[in-house]
Amino acid sequence: MKPFTYIVPKSLDEAKEAAAQPNTLVKGAGLDIVDRMKERLQTPQNIVNLLPLKADLAGISVEANGDVRIGALTTLTEIENHEAMRDPVFTALVKAASTTGTPQVRNRGTIAGNILQFTRCWYVRSEAFHCLHGGRGPTCLAMTGQNRYHAVMGWSDCVRVHPSNVAPPLLALDAEYSTVIGKETRRRKFSELFPAEPRAENPEHTLQEGEIVTAIHIKKQAANVRTAYAESREKESFDWATTACSVRIAMDGNKIAAADIVLGAVAPVPMPRPKAAAMLIGKEPSKRLFLRVADMAFQGAAPLAHNAFKLPIGKAVVRDALEQATR
Amino acid sequence: MHPDPSTNDAKSAGLPRATEITVGYKALSPSQKDRLQKIEVNPEEGDAPPWDALTKYKTVGTDVDRIDGMPKATGRAKYAYDMNFPDMQQAMILRGSIARGVLKGLNLDEAKAMPGITAVVALKEVGNKIRFVGDAVAAVSGKTLDLVRDAIEKIRAEYDADVHNVDFLMDEQAPLLDSKGNVDEEWDEDKKVDAALAAAAHTHTGTYRTEVQTHSSLEPHGNVCKWDGNNLEIWASTQATFGVRGELARALGARNIKVESVDVHAEFVGGGFGSKFSAGIEGLACALLAHESKLPVKLMLDRFEEHTTAGNRPSSLMQVRGAVDKDGKITAWDWRSFGGCGYNGRGGSVRYPNYYMSDAATRRKHKDIATDADPARSMRAPGYPQGWFGAEMFLDELAAKAGMDPLAFRLRNDAEAMRLDQWQFAADKFGWDKARNHKNERGARYVTGVGCASARWGQLGRHGGRRQRYGMTCRIHPDGTVETRSGAQDIGTGLKTVIQMLTAEELGVPASRVRAMCGHTADPIGPASGGSTTTASIAPAVRHAAFLAKGKLIDLVAAHLGVPVKDVTCGNDKVGTAKASLSWTDACKLVGPNPLEVHGERYPNYPDKPFHRGVCGAQFAEVRVDTWTGEVKVTRMFGIQDCGLVIAKKLAESQVLGAMIQGVSYAVHEQRIMDQRSGRMLNGDFLRYKISGIKDLPELECHMHSVANGHNNTGAAGLGEPPSTATAAAIGNAVFHAIGAPVRHLPITPEKVLAAIASK
Repeated sequence: MKPFTYIVPKSLDEAKEAAAQPNTLVKGAGLDIVDRMKERLQTPQNIVNLLPLKADLAGISVEANGDVRIGALTTLTEIENHEAMRDPVFTALVKAASTTGTPQVRNRGTIAGNILQFTRCWYVRSEAFHCLHGGRGPTCLAMTGQNRYHAVMGWSDCVRVHPSNVAPPLLALDAEYSTVIGKETRRRKFSELFPAEPRAENPEHTLQEGEIVTAIHIKKQAANVRTAYAESREKESFDWATTACSVRIAMDGNKIAAADIVLGAVAPVPMPRPKAAAMLIGKEPSKRLFLRVADMAFQGAAPLAHNAFKLPIGKAVVRDALEQATR
Repeated sequence: MHPDPSTNDAKSAGLPRATEITVGYKALSPSQKDRLQKIEVNPEEGDAPPWDALTKYKTVGTDVDRIDGMPKATGRAKYAYDMNFPDMQQAMILRGSIARGVLKGLNLDEAKAMPGITAVVALKEVGNKIRFVGDAVAAVSGKTLDLVRDAIEKIRAEYDADVHNVDFLMDEQAPLLDSKGNVDEEWDEDKKVDAALAAAAHTHTGTYRTEVQTHSSLEPHGNVCKWDGNNLEIWASTQATFGVRGELARALGARNIKVESVDVHAEFVGGGFGSKFSAGIEGLACALLAHESKLPVKLMLDRFEEHTTAGNRPSSLMQVRGAVDKDGKITAWDWRSFGGCGYNGRGGSVRYPNYYMSDAATRRKHKDIATDADPARSMRAPGYPQGWFGAEMFLDELAAKAGMDPLAFRLRNDAEAMRLDQWQFAADKFGWDKARNHKNERGARYVTGVGCASARWGQLGRHGGRRQRYGMTCRIHPDGTVETRSGAQDIGTGLKTVIQMLTAEELGVPASRVRAMCGHTADPIGPASGGSTTTASIAPAVRHAAFLAKGKLIDLVAAHLGVPVKDVTCGNDKVGTAKASLSWTDACKLVGPNPLEVHGERYPNYPDKPFHRGVCGAQFAEVRVDTWTGEVKVTRMFGIQDCGLVIAKKLAESQVLGAMIQGVSYAVHEQRIMDQRSGRMLNGDFLRYKISGIKDLPELECHMHSVANGHNNTGAAGLGEPPSTATAAAIGNAVFHAIGAPVRHLPITPEKVLAAIASK
């Protein structure tokens, strides 16, 4: 790892100021960044460690209006165990958080860090390969190379997938996120955190240089809202999903009144599937319906040479999530 | 007379040449019979008298804790990686970045001139071939790894790249495959096999494949080297202390180095599995850097180098034609296999369990195919897990055609009597009949299945050869402690504990009195740890050393008590006769002031026919398959394993369970994934090279089957490798049972399961 200056801020203001310097990275647990620094793929001059700000930036609270605020530095373990997360609205989020990494990773890893992690693509994460997304080569090497774990939809010139487990549930819940940059505080819809047309030149997220995520907000949900998260993977211990799906369902009697479906691990960004979700509205849950919805969720998918398996498996995962949420 | 180790008269060393002993084993369960028989054996004069099936042990076969468990768990155990010295330099190797070609230019000047860099050596000359991505080109040492990495980046290496291929099935020597992965090639004529096939009641053909499994020892390969004049002291992560000594002495011969000037330490080794016999280019580089810098140097490989330059179990393609008669007896077995090797085109050979087809017309053909990749290295039962997967799965498919239960089919065909007992015992323990007859609900998302496979290995130990038999030092100290030392290495299997327990048994003292030391070439010569030979080879030497030490102590005690030497025995922590004795610690006070020291030897195995050559085992597995996602979860396994005499039971079980864990990983997870374009491994880390973790593992149980083979004074046989032959095969068969279609290609990943289900 190249030497760097390690900045330990005492306040968010100090952190903002430090983050505004050129060639500076902001870290939570640093699990992802340290890997890439060791590989010399990232050689920042400064690292701002946010963990000392946990008092302000970590923790889960329920506000007076019933909205839930999750501090950016809240660990995945805290999400797994927190009282407020027992609400069925958070079933998906808790499941996604608790299947991430290992207990050690979850004890250390933060929710914001999980969402903002760099893609796991084995080309861009190796110093030996020079690809477009890494800014070191003319093309996406995975597109024509070994792309077993890569995108089957939503890609243009780069077939990376977004690796976050917790992003799909948060998108399905229509969550919002707060950031600070300079003197400004911003609060936006979660969908704005990811590039609308993810190209190789785009980072995984839309944050500006020096912008720091401070919290995630989930509006109070109707009493009939249920969520579920399902994923396929090759290993139970410490693996990334090959496909993932989070759903939000609101039932009206025995009919589905509202639905959201978001896929993970299949595209450069988490993928909301509104057309598939719309098929559920006004219908009674059934195996046949879910099969058709799962097909629709993967409509237009364009698998690569080595990842066509993601389609049948991803559809099974959609069905699984829908069954869980309507059970 | 049956020898009881605690009462043996050490002075009977002048044994009659022929001794009658009882060999075999006691019934595994009440429904089975004892398999004991008397045989005559002819030990060499001077050896310790043989133990046999009737020997009553005090320590051997019990659950003594691993002697170095605590130091390992607390980090006090120092591995090569942990060695640090003042002014020690760190080092790295520049790896070639092309898969095939020639080194066209190499300029080390800029690297050499960098401050903090203490040595730079070329490991290849311009014009040399580069044979795979990762071939070593040059090495650098310096004050810190970061500086060294900076210097590595400053080395100008230029290559002339050639066209390469890293997939053996793309090679022109590989058989043609159809779209389903079946070999699209005729079988050559063979009169006997063809006639047997033509006459058969049922025939079957299958094609099986396995992928490259990399060596993934927890401790990487590497060394710390320190020179003092012409003497080299080296701390190595190795499976062969004496091998490394000889290899480095030869390699450094031009520097006036003799074997005696190389001193190798490997007191603790973090696994080897067959990949650490050689000092390797990293060992030579480390020694050269230390020589040039005149400072101690540490050079340990990183995880990517481990995956890409430290060897692997090569991939394979196996095709079988077979047949049975109307009684389910195998009558034809036609086997052809291909090994997917590294650049040297070696090590891909595949073995299969030939005890099933002992009466059949058989043919076996194999071809190794070279690719431009890291070469194979022997890996825990080289060639076996691949071949067992292909053959045992073929057996289940053939049994299905013959309408037979796979276990009944094996009982019908297995020619090894010992395993017939094991099959029945293990099937009962596992609950085979009930589990095999379980019917999965139609259309159920989760289905279960069970399968079984055999285990086999053939080692009864080596002795080092006529000129230099393996040795062992045993010291009895005046304070009552005992020290037994071997220069061979304990690679983590528990050799030290084995030495401790055998010494304690022979001396009739609790194991806690004995210290065992391993892994320093100043101590007596022992074997390399390969082929499951270490315990089998060393145990007789341990016994002999303890036996000689016991004799010397008895001399002292007899003189002290004024009793005849022949009446004195060691046992129950005492030394003496029935009437007069000293406690062990009092007896040891007669020693001194220097410790009583003897050197034991490994005598060759008896010239007589043992009860059984090699070892047998059987394993059963249960899986649950998610038919939606294709995910396979191995839920339960039971294994029975013979290893001759079971010495340290806990550690023996740990070997079997460990082999099953590694087998689960091989069956469902592990595979090297290459980028064809660059020839570089893509998943050369522990995130994407998938190894089963705790949550992926089944309930595991094993039964150690202790067998007296009567082949030397102890009767230990090999254990590390045999249980690893069966696991993937048993799991493959369980998946076949669960989904009703075979997945003939390891690892059994979700997409292959879904494809198999879809093909039904």
